Amino acid sequence: MAVDMNAPVLVVDDYQTMIRIIRNLLKQLGFENVDEASDGREALEKLKKQKYGLVISDWNMEPMTGYELLREVRADEALKPTPFIMVTAESKTENVIAAKKAGVNNYIVKPFNAQTLKAKIASVLGDF
Amino acid sequence: MAAPEVVLRVKDALSRLKDADLKDPRLGEVLTLASQMSDAMMAFFGSMDNSLYGELRYLSAYIQRTRAEISALRPNDIKNDGIPTAGAELDAIVANTAEATHRIMEAAESVMSADTSDAHAYQAFVCDKMLEIFEACSFQDITGQRVKKVVDTLRHIENRIDRFAKVMGVEDAEVQLSPEEQRKKDLLLNGPALNGPENKQDDIDAMFGGEDAGAAMSQDDLDALFD
Repeated sequence: MAVDMNAPVLVVDDYQTMIRIIRNLLKQLGFENVDEASDGREALEKLKKQKYGLVISDWNMEPMTGYELLREVRADEALKPTPFIMVTAESKTENVIAAKKAGVNNYIVKPFNAQTLKAKIASVLGDF
Repeated sequence: MAAPEVVLRVKDALSRLKDADLKDPRLGEVLTLASQMSDAMMAFFGSMDNSLYGELRYLSAYIQRTRAEISALRPNDIKNDGIPTAGAELDAIVANTAEATHRIMEAAESVMSADTSDAHAYQAFVCDKMLEIFEACSFQDITGQRVKKVVDTLRHIENRIDRFAKVMGVEDAEVQLSPEEQRKKDLLLNGPALNGPENKQDDIDAMFGGEDAGAAMSQDDLDALFD
């Protein structure tokens, strides 16, 4: 199935610079409809109000972390199918395993490049 | 019973004994026994005084040494100057890097969205923006110097505390995690690893069973990593 490039993408990060970087990369990849949240709680509120085609989230945020957001999303029947990619500096094996167990679709370790982001989005949504 | 009262009672007892019949053999035995007990008690209290005095002298010397070591730590200097200065330097680093990143990204974004219809004008515009990026990168020199100052302060504090701990023979006490530390532990908030990521992207891809990584890891494989 073709990837819906107009589906909104939610980028969650507590650093505006990182949101700006991901926004620009997504724009280059053809995703124009990008929304943002500064932590898991704000993201969860947005996810409950609107359907998103993809969530790209950092891990280490306050008050709600990306890991907690992931668990909330996977525990909610309506949100459960939302594709979720973790983009984080947390690179310990225990982090990757915990995220995988919690149902993350893919995991990108910071710093990353446009090619990696594209490859991971393609592996989750399909080629575009 | 107060000491003067004891003295009076002893005096009174002695005068009564003087008035009594000292030829009574039982009284003589009692007096001998009392004399022996008195000698024994004097020896006991004498030794106790010496040991107490020794203990107090040791404690006094220990307190003086501790005061001298704490003074050598220069805690007021650390509290009033070292740590606040280091904090201010770190704040400045965050501000400098944020400002530089903003300038660089703004330049890059303007290039990406620039009008390319006039090749000559576009080339000039791109050159200007590249120069802006070079200029913004000068933050690295300033932040490098600030970081060095913070590192020097931390090293200075580390050396003083290390010396103090050695001199005083201090060992680490077991401490309970604060709620904040417990939360970090529970939510695996480890932060960025030193010297690059602990698992590179290829390692992580392998855990997700990427095409280049061969077979996907089973749940059992994942569970085994916890054992």
